[in-house]
Amino acid sequence: MEEKYSSHALAGGGSLGPVDVPSARFTKYIVLLCFTKFLKALGLFESYDLLKVVHIVQFIFILKLGSAFFMVLFQKPFSSGKTITKHQWIKIFKHAVAGCIISLLWFFGLTLCGPLRTLLLFEHSDIVVISLLNVLFTSSGGGPAKSKVESWSSLIMPFTTVIFFVVVLDFYVDSICSAKMEVSKSARYGSFLICISALLFGNFWTHPITDQLRAMNKPAHQESTEHVLSGGVVVSAIFFILSANILASPSKRGQKGTLVGYSPEGTPLYNFMGDALQHSSQSIPRFIKESLKQILEESDSRHIFYFLCLNLVFTFVELFYGVLTNSLGLISDGFHMLFDCSALVMGLFAALMSRWKATRIFSYGYGRIEILSGFINGLFLMVIAFFLFVESVARLIDPPELDTYMLAPVSVGGLIVNLIGVCAFSHAHGHVHGASQGGYHSHDHSHSHHGHSHGHNHSHSDHGHSHSHGHSHGSSGGGMNANMRGVFLHILADTLGSIGVIVSTILIEQFGWFFADPLCSLFIAVLIFLSVIPLIKDACQVLLLRLPPENEKEINIALEKIQKIEGLISYRDPHFWRHSASVVAGTIHIQVMSDVLEQRIVQQVTGVLKDAGVNNLTVQVEKEAYFQHMSGLSTGFHDVLAMTKQMESMKYYKDGTYIM
Amino acid sequence: MGTIHLFRKSQRSFVGKLSQEFKLVAADRRSWKILLFGAINLLCTGFLLMWCSSTNSIALTAYTYLTIFDLFSLVTCLISYWVMVRKPSPVYSFGFERLEVLAVFASTVLAQLGALFILKESVERFLEQPEIHTGRLLVGTFVALTFNLFTMLSVRNKPFAYVSEAATTSWLQEHVADLSRSLCGIIPGLSSIFLPRMNPFVLIDLAGAFALCITYMLIEINNYFAVDTASAIAIALMTVGTMYPMSVYSGKVLLQTTPPHVIGQLDKLIREVSTLDGVLEVRNEHFWTLGFGSLAGSVHVRIRRDANEQMVLAHVTNRLYTLVSTLTVQIFKDDWMRPALISGPVAANMLNLPDHHIISMPPLKGDELNPLTSTPAKPSTAPPEFSFNTPGKNMTPVILLNTQTRPYGLGINHGSTPYNSMFSQGFGAPGMGAAQGFRTGFTNIPSKYGTNSRGQPRP
Repeated sequence: MEEKYSSHALAGGGSLGPVDVPSARFTKYIVLLCFTKFLKALGLFESYDLLKVVHIVQFIFILKLGSAFFMVLFQKPFSSGKTITKHQWIKIFKHAVAGCIISLLWFFGLTLCGPLRTLLLFEHSDIVVISLLNVLFTSSGGGPAKSKVESWSSLIMPFTTVIFFVVVLDFYVDSICSAKMEVSKSARYGSFLICISALLFGNFWTHPITDQLRAMNKPAHQESTEHVLSGGVVVSAIFFILSANILASPSKRGQKGTLVGYSPEGTPLYNFMGDALQHSSQSIPRFIKESLKQILEESDSRHIFYFLCLNLVFTFVELFYGVLTNSLGLISDGFHMLFDCSALVMGLFAALMSRWKATRIFSYGYGRIEILSGFINGLFLMVIAFFLFVESVARLIDPPELDTYMLAPVSVGGLIVNLIGVCAFSHAHGHVHGASQGGYHSHDHSHSHHGHSHGHNHSHSDHGHSHSHGHSHGSSGGGMNANMRGVFLHILADTLGSIGVIVSTILIEQFGWFFADPLCSLFIAVLIFLSVIPLIKDACQVLLLRLPPENEKEINIALEKIQKIEGLISYRDPHFWRHSASVVAGTIHIQVMSDVLEQRIVQQVTGVLKDAGVNNLTVQVEKEAYFQHMSGLSTGFHDVLAMTKQMESMKYYKDGTYIM
Repeated sequence: MGTIHLFRKSQRSFVGKLSQEFKLVAADRRSWKILLFGAINLLCTGFLLMWCSSTNSIALTAYTYLTIFDLFSLVTCLISYWVMVRKPSPVYSFGFERLEVLAVFASTVLAQLGALFILKESVERFLEQPEIHTGRLLVGTFVALTFNLFTMLSVRNKPFAYVSEAATTSWLQEHVADLSRSLCGIIPGLSSIFLPRMNPFVLIDLAGAFALCITYMLIEINNYFAVDTASAIAIALMTVGTMYPMSVYSGKVLLQTTPPHVIGQLDKLIREVSTLDGVLEVRNEHFWTLGFGSLAGSVHVRIRRDANEQMVLAHVTNRLYTLVSTLTVQIFKDDWMRPALISGPVAANMLNLPDHHIISMPPLKGDELNPLTSTPAKPSTAPPEFSFNTPGKNMTPVILLNTQTRPYGLGINHGSTPYNSMFSQGFGAPGMGAAQGFRTGFTNIPSKYGTNSRGQPRP
């Protein structure tokens, strides 16, 4: 046996040199791998027996010592190869400590659950380690793994076999195979083989056949049931083999990066997982710092952020007491506030994102995100109202006893927090109360343009923002965008909830009306639902590209004015919509007589519509020649027919003055 | 409070309008099927909610929310029928196509919010696990599964089918695809079943039913009630995972963004446009999807001062029209107010081939004409539209414009013939062939644009 190993080890050492092996010799390596894994399993079974008589620390010391002795002999790390720098020594030391701990755990596990299970579990992790950390190992050089511990030799025969089988031989053959074959391939075969051999040994270890193998072991063992195979082990072994197969096969993709798509230039784009991880891990503190700075930069997000902090602190207090007192009002209020926090977080993000610069994809800028966030907030509130409604109806049918202890102070605290929020938000956006009391029209007016006198001064669009702002400010006089409205409604709903809790507490304490709590919840649910409808309606209108209601009259007047521009025949396809709180976009097609200058018309129309509040305008000025060109360019008969109709719509066509 | 009052006012009219529109939709035969399904759905949901409260299982509640989501998707389907019927109104000038998108967005967001509530409830349940009765659990699961699958597969839900195709694959789909790919690596015969993209709704229905079956088994065997909460969390997470890409996609449509998959094509078209003769710059490009699929857009094109606005407009429109159905192009010149340019010949410069025989304008610098290098500085012939009203102004810009000579007339001769013949066929049909003035304009276009369009096939 000894000769065999040494010859194998030497052969391995010899073929570590220049690689000129043809690929047809794969089978040879597989056979080699097969043999080694078989022996490794054998070694592990032996070490299991050994561990029964030797203490684990001694065992590992001897094992490491022996393996290191042979390793140093074969590898000659001190005489050959590059010298190891101080930095590398530190790495080697760390690696050695980690390796010792791992092997300690490994063998401890071996004593606990037997060789077969250990093999199954440990080899499984081996594959993951090999496939993922392959790069790491190769970059740090072969040195660390080989010069783990100092050299010494052992005399006991089983120890020699274990050292050879488990550490030395396995290491060499693994390195050879992973050099000659692909790493994933060798890992796959290795795990497969070691699982199979472990199963075989597990079955036959106590069998008389293996007595020759075990004969060289000095320790004797009596029990015969410890290596018995159970059905679960076989099944798990099969699954381990399968999963190792699956894990090892696509590992190539993870190393090389996955194909994401093609860039506009046609070059393929890859996604490297490692890069992304590194990037995120590096910049997390800086990211937090920068986003905090961004948040505090502007009043909208600053308000939301401060209130979010306040709310979070209070929410936990409230939840705590809510659980203590088992009050539906309080717990639901607490959770509702927690959800409010998520709504606030969303509002915060929307307020942050709305200031981003316009990109290729978001060509008008990110301002519309605020509206979408307002819409989502509205939906959120509706869902909250719905659940509150359902639950309070259920409680109304079967009113539970509840403890009013600490209820009133907590709800008063909640009320105070929410009132602070309401005051802060309404203070920041002047006319909220006026808006909520002043009927629909003024309500609509109030949320048109304010909040952008500061927010969008640095806006991307190169049209005269300041002009439209000056105008619209005069008419609307402050308000808030949909995002802030959504956040405000949330806080308002919270305030209502707190008031409801206070009222129900008083009622319960004074009169013992336990149905007051669900009744209050019911009332609050209805109130939330009703107050959120206008927000949703407005957000829907904006999202559906409706003609902005607050500019509707002015735009209609402007269109009438446009009709009267000299040289203008008609206009078609007038589209005006509110893109975001600050941008009212519009497109219009205008037909003019042939003798007027297009640029002058564009200027006039732009001026008129800018006065009406449209600040992102595209005017297409069409003359008769355009339709002629178009009908010339278009191929289909129907296109030509449509174009002709367009031409006929121009009234000067008929008298033939301009057409020969 | 004022808000409530005003809301009630709008609500009443809203209900009236709703019933009116409902009648409009109900006229369609196809919508009857959807209404039938909706009624069954309501019934089914009612039963399921009853069983939910009788079993006290939150996992079943989470699964019931998927049924409610089905109801939303049926409503979305109805809305898409309504959208097909409705014409654009002056207030909603783009039509109601976007309502479909909004409905998809709202229903996916509502499903996610429902899942969020399930998560919240499950957190509460983890603190204090109530007892679950398995009596109707399995029945409810199979009723919901059958009904969900039946609805998904039998109702042709156009908006949701589109979104689930167009949106990025969900987290659940990715995992199933990964799993099935490695499974197919072992058993290749399964590839035809597993490899195509799975319908996300069917997937989540099956996965939820699977989770519920496991719940049932574990509770029956071990009385292990916490598994109910765990599977509720799993179903909620899967719901969020499935709905999230769809709401992102529809939300991006609502945000008026350029869909990423057309950016390549758009870039190509814009590059083509910017190489058109006379075009200096293309800017303020806004392209966005109106509903699912149809693209709208506006673009500002800055052109040379001596270029023909209408011609450039026509060509730009023609190029972009293939992709963008609702298009507005603003042509835009620098310094157009300079007195030298307030005149017709700006346009006239484009039309400079010898067949302007109708116009009797005396060529100013006719001796300098070179038909092969058709410079823009040849006001030899004004287009018909300018020849009558502003004859005198043709003379002024000549000196200025002569400096901008460009040699680009190499393709003149071969370019004009097919175009001309095509034009006379196409344009003659509606009886416009008599207008010779048009032809003068058209014959010149290919010569100018043919050289620049780099082998773009003429229409």
